[in-house]
Amino acid sequence: MNLKQSFRMAFKSIRANRVRSLLTMLGIIIGVAAVIIMVSVVQGSNRQLKAYYERLGNNRITVSAEQWDGADISQALYDYCIGLGPLIYGVTPDGTAEGPLRYLDRSTEDMESGSPTIKLGSAQFSLCNNFQIERGRDLCQMDIQSSQQVIVLGARTAQHLFNYQNPVGKTVLLQSHPFTVVGVYRAKDPDSEYSMDNMAVVPYTLNRLLNHRNTLDSFTIRAASSETTAEVSSRVSGFLKGQIDNERGYFNVYSENQDIRASDARNRMMSMVLGGIASISLLVGGIGIMNIMLVTVTERTREIGIRKAIGARRKSILAQFLIEASVVCGIGGLLGIAVGVAGTVLAGRLILRAIILPNLLMSAGAFLFSVAMGVGFGLYPAAKASKLQPVEALRAD
Amino acid sequence: MSLIQLDRIYKLYNEGQDNEVRALNGVTLSIDRGEFVAIIGSSGSGKSTLMNILGCLDLPSRGVYRLNGKLASQMRDDELSHIRNVEIGFIFQGYNLIPALDALENVELPLIYQGVGGERRLQIAREALERVGLGDRLHNYPSQMSGGQQQRVAIARAISTGAPILMADEPTGALDSKTGAQVLEILHQLHRERGTTILLITHDNKVAAAAERIIRIADGQIVVDCPREEIAL
Repeated sequence: MNLKQSFRMAFKSIRANRVRSLLTMLGIIIGVAAVIIMVSVVQGSNRQLKAYYERLGNNRITVSAEQWDGADISQALYDYCIGLGPLIYGVTPDGTAEGPLRYLDRSTEDMESGSPTIKLGSAQFSLCNNFQIERGRDLCQMDIQSSQQVIVLGARTAQHLFNYQNPVGKTVLLQSHPFTVVGVYRAKDPDSEYSMDNMAVVPYTLNRLLNHRNTLDSFTIRAASSETTAEVSSRVSGFLKGQIDNERGYFNVYSENQDIRASDARNRMMSMVLGGIASISLLVGGIGIMNIMLVTVTERTREIGIRKAIGARRKSILAQFLIEASVVCGIGGLLGIAVGVAGTVLAGRLILRAIILPNLLMSAGAFLFSVAMGVGFGLYPAAKASKLQPVEALRAD
Repeated sequence: MSLIQLDRIYKLYNEGQDNEVRALNGVTLSIDRGEFVAIIGSSGSGKSTLMNILGCLDLPSRGVYRLNGKLASQMRDDELSHIRNVEIGFIFQGYNLIPALDALENVELPLIYQGVGGERRLQIAREALERVGLGDRLHNYPSQMSGGQQQRVAIARAISTGAPILMADEPTGALDSKTGAQVLEILHQLHRERGTTILLITHDNKVAAAAERIIRIADGQIVVDCPREEIAL
């Protein structure tokens, strides 16, 4: 008996046993699809979180310090940070100002996602917060020193106020003070609703004008690398400890790297838990396959007996059953991958609002596992039955 | 030389234990080419066991079986498959058709295992079915046919390979007397026209009366072996 006939025989048998073939496939489809979807969603959300932190800028240290008596330590802290030199990329105050921005008849008050955050920053604000200039120029040291009423807009805010006009050189009103737009930052977070791009930054020296205050109580430092982040944190803490008496003020130094590490750990945990659940569904699918295959053993044992009685060799029987199981499980596996990919894309749209694609290695692994399961349990009883004397196999009832 | 030669064949179950069963207890027998032999005996006499061994469906516990000069009692599994495929056609009491295949496909099966290709195989299978009067039922499945029709499909399958030996184990056992007679008539025709050697196993004396030689088995041993004329059935 040649291969072509083995294939024909296998297909005939699959067609003749539709329900059994379908149930076997179903087990595989569910197992494979579950693994693909779960693992992909976890990985997709991991990637998304990582991308979020990357947009935010890495190696950031947030410092806040205040003295109850109102004495300003911001200048001393700022000078200390500048003195750290090559350990840091930059430092900027992290204050905010109230109020919508207006341009002619347009106002940021009617923005669907809320008014932009108005930041008080230094010339290194963009460096610390991972912004890049798209049009015009950034804040410069001159603006800071001479308290120029200039403003740099985030992409979302610029788009709202100016649509597609060039904002550079135009004048906007903030708390009824005129500010000249000198630049626009490139969009770095265009997809999310409450975008990081809905912002604007003005020189921090305008704190008195906008907030009627002299002091600034928080800063963002961007360290030169993840290695120096810890050192900068501890040095700044040491400096503030010397400056602020515990009973008359407080300070806090916080590195976002800790946050990232914690979320990494959380994600790894979630991957393992969901991966575990997915593995269980794969296993249950496998057990389903095993059940169906074993339940039909009696029927098939008799069939094998008949085939042997009229002259089938063991090889022919095994070839037929191997092809049959491979075809059923292969088709089931491919359908499972198709369902898994579709489910992953759908879950990505619904849960993460992003397009995620399945992990190739995981899909291949799930496919191979369930096909091996199906072929193994499809073939094992057949192999056993084909060893029987035909008279014993025929006796199976 | 005889076509079939059995020399002191034993088939034992639970050998050496208290509940040892001697299904065949030293059977010596030879059958020549072209004979029409009925093997009779009550149920449990060992006649089915004998047929299984003669048909190479089972191996004897002890003894020597030569089929067409070849030592069947010591063959490997695949050699036995080959013998069953080429030398012997089987007709079982329970038909033993494959339910998932239609009549034509069932008849084609032994030819597939012989490696007979496409068109020729189809032609042979169709002719065999026509011969048993089922030319109009080629694509019926076993579940769509009566017992007599199913048994005729089984006969078509058995004769499709042109095997020189036909073994029929209670071929009429599940049939009414009219369809049973039809089945027997087909066997007779094959015997007359092709010279096929026929072994008919039955507990029914009327069925056995059609044969030329009668072998009676009791308790795993041959108790009568004579031409049809010398025994009253």
